[in-house]
Amino acid sequence: MAFEISKMRNIGISAHIDSGKTTLSERILFYCNKIHSIHEVRGKDGVGATMDSMELERERGITIASAATNVTWKDTTVNLIDTPGHVDFTIEVERSLRVLDGAVLVLCSVGGVQSQTLTVDRQLKRYHVPRLAFINKADRTGANPYRVKNQIVEKLGLNAAFITLPIGLEDKLEGLVDLVLMKAVYFDGEGGIDIRYAEIPAHLQADAAKYREELLDCAAMFSDELAEAYLEGTETPEMIKAAIRKGTIAQQFVPVFVGSAYKNKGVQLLLDGVVDYLPDPTEVKNIALDLDKGEEEHVVIADPKLPTVALGFKLEDGQYGQLTYVRIYQGEIKKGSELFNTRSRKKFKVGRLVRMHAATMEDITEGGPGDIVALFGIECASGDTFCEPSVNFAMTSMFVPDTVISLAIEPADKKSADQMSKALNRFTKEDPTFQTYVDPESNQTIIKGMGELHLEVYIERMRREYKCEVTTGMPQVAYREAISQRADFNYTHKKQTGGSGQYGRVAGYMEPIEGAVYEFVNSVKGGAIPNEYIQSCDKGFKEASKKGSLIGFPVVNIRCVINDGASHPVDSSDIAFQLASIGCFREAYEKAKPVILEPIMKVVAEGPAEFQGNIYASVNQRRGLITASTEEASFCRVEAEVPLSEMFGYSTVLRSMTQGKAEFSMEFLKYGKVPTSVSEQLRKEFEEKRRKEQGR
Amino acid sequence: MLKEELIKKSPVRVLERGIEGGLKGGNIGVIASRKGIGKTSVLVQLALDKLMQGKKVIHVSFTTHTSYVISWYENIFTELAKKKNLEDYSSVHDDLMKNRVIMNFNQEGVSTDQILKSLRAMIVDGGFDADAVIADGFDFARADAEHFDKVSAFAKEMKLEFWYSCTMSGEEPLLDKKNVPVILRPFLDDIAVLIVLEPKAEYIHFIVVKDHGRMNPEDLNIKLDAKTLLIAEA
Repeated sequence: MAFEISKMRNIGISAHIDSGKTTLSERILFYCNKIHSIHEVRGKDGVGATMDSMELERERGITIASAATNVTWKDTTVNLIDTPGHVDFTIEVERSLRVLDGAVLVLCSVGGVQSQTLTVDRQLKRYHVPRLAFINKADRTGANPYRVKNQIVEKLGLNAAFITLPIGLEDKLEGLVDLVLMKAVYFDGEGGIDIRYAEIPAHLQADAAKYREELLDCAAMFSDELAEAYLEGTETPEMIKAAIRKGTIAQQFVPVFVGSAYKNKGVQLLLDGVVDYLPDPTEVKNIALDLDKGEEEHVVIADPKLPTVALGFKLEDGQYGQLTYVRIYQGEIKKGSELFNTRSRKKFKVGRLVRMHAATMEDITEGGPGDIVALFGIECASGDTFCEPSVNFAMTSMFVPDTVISLAIEPADKKSADQMSKALNRFTKEDPTFQTYVDPESNQTIIKGMGELHLEVYIERMRREYKCEVTTGMPQVAYREAISQRADFNYTHKKQTGGSGQYGRVAGYMEPIEGAVYEFVNSVKGGAIPNEYIQSCDKGFKEASKKGSLIGFPVVNIRCVINDGASHPVDSSDIAFQLASIGCFREAYEKAKPVILEPIMKVVAEGPAEFQGNIYASVNQRRGLITASTEEASFCRVEAEVPLSEMFGYSTVLRSMTQGKAEFSMEFLKYGKVPTSVSEQLRKEFEEKRRKEQGR
Repeated sequence: MLKEELIKKSPVRVLERGIEGGLKGGNIGVIASRKGIGKTSVLVQLALDKLMQGKKVIHVSFTTHTSYVISWYENIFTELAKKKNLEDYSSVHDDLMKNRVIMNFNQEGVSTDQILKSLRAMIVDGGFDADAVIADGFDFARADAEHFDKVSAFAKEMKLEFWYSCTMSGEEPLLDKKNVPVILRPFLDDIAVLIVLEPKAEYIHFIVVKDHGRMNPEDLNIKLDAKTLLIAEA
């Protein structure tokens, strides 16, 4: 089946945890006739929502992995990409956003704009994703969509206006007012499937007129035709829609929908909004990097006749092998055609090609530009670009943040050991922020990631999906070392007894820098160090900076400058200058007053105002710095900067302290100097560890 | 210029000399003017002066989002540092901002008791041993009569210096015969220092209306630069 590209939408649903995202996805599938009964997320029937394919997600009530699901709304094909909401899985969110053309930002009518909404919105902005807002849960006690809309304007800084208004709120939510058509809309029948239009109730007439005016004021900015018609009072729904669409796609306007997915109110209007206001793949500019031209930017065009360019954005291990989700940016992918992985430089043949629905898959023979499909059995990593062999493009590399936490894991038995390596192999392919290596000193397997919860989830998945039991060590913070002042060095490496000797002298200085991890500067004049050995010096300094002498962590923000040296016509060699440079580094490092740096996280905790004191105290106990605190009605939000090493187990502490009513999010902010007392403690631990290892 | 010198040469010292050595802990001071004259700027400069001296400040904002407050501090600090050629700019900056916490309240729906409870929580539970509270954007028209009695008692108990801004708006006359803003008349007993900012052609003039026991003492000889909104000697 070929699709008309203007009738295609690739959208994601982004939201704060618990704002009803999964329920909304489920309802969308329902209305698009893909499933025949509605399950609740934490369903009593034990079936669970279809989008949450992983058992673990079902248990926690959250969605971790993104699955692309194909549905049809009226005559439009919609690829729905379910994105995870928790900040610890941010890379998954970001990777999904990369392939979206538009997004629905879900907000809760009670909670409004929460810390995570801010994070998600910032990500949408980074990837220039046009969006609609859906203020969900209008049926809940305390629902106030008007307040939430104001927050969208004030806190997210978006130009937004209502497209629909609620008729009644909380348990009196009856239906909606469509401000474009100026009609009341009711959702009758089982699952709200029958839409009935009626006159706007008398008591809402004034409000509807007021918010329609607000909407038209916004929309008229994007269309002269509408502006003129509006002045004359001759505007038509088509004109209004066209103007809103223009503003939305330009990311200068956000249409706001209201409803309750749970009560089956307003989802169909939102789907109409997706079709009416979000872009089709041709309306979004996508840029690839031409690897043959030094990564020159190249705009890819959603044209089936051009050479194929596609991005593998998600891997999944299914029962039939590895499944790769692919977004086609240009050209087509046909069954049996040949593609080229521009990272691994390997060619492969497209075997089985499928389209994914929530729980089933459909075999297809081709996918067109803009489409999202899945390939079977392709050897690749997530983020790889697949091209027709005639072109050599890479889709813009995705922003991968540094990992901040690591954990030693050990398999419980022989069987688990095999499974563990399988699991790790797959996870690291799926998620670039999840990394693993074997520590050469302790011989332990170390996993690294973005936070405690991030690593916990993978350990859980090992247990469940791979039946692999592991024991874990204490989480380890990724410390850094840095020097705080300039220090000179002048070191001679000499070994001239018997056989071929080694000789090299290197002199210069090291100094702290900002904004770079490591810099090497060669200021040697008159060939004091022969040119061929300059690189050896660089190598030596780089090697030495991998492990500082304080606690054995990498040294950052350092510049090593060499300005003098000496060589021997016979005994100088690459290795001699490397060792001389390492000697220089060690000699100068102590003099340069090294300090230990630790990752500082930006923590945002939110909850009922009554727990404010507890939150303050918990931050204070953790060497944290409260930077701001906001109180509104009975709700408070505390922003703080807290060292990561103090944040272990915080979710449990916060939950028990506030009867589960408060929550927090955190993300890496910066590296900061550790206080002297902590520094001494860390050095003591490091010395002990080293002594023990030497004693062994 | 070093930080120490900057403190010594600050026009805030002139202001303090004019009002018997400053506001002192346990007292309430108010800066009043019409909208857009420079109250927030004056408050932020008072706060920065405290921060320079290593004191801790809670900035309470009733109207604006925390990010706006932060940019006020950033802008004025940069302006001051530039004007006075401050040495070691970035480490002084980090030291200062460490001692400032911003608390944001919506005056609607948050009572005086709740505000004071939160302040207490910040100081006691949060371990933030504040010396001064800067309260910006408080709407005196909506304040209940007890507000200042409670705040005054709290300030005395915690030995806090409180500086408020007060916007005068509405019908003339805004000031009574003794130069007291009409809107502040009911609270005058609880206010130790009251300063009115009055725009002149080239600058903004400071009028001290109340200084502890004295009403309308002699002129202070300080002004606000109309362009930079920095306090300067007249």
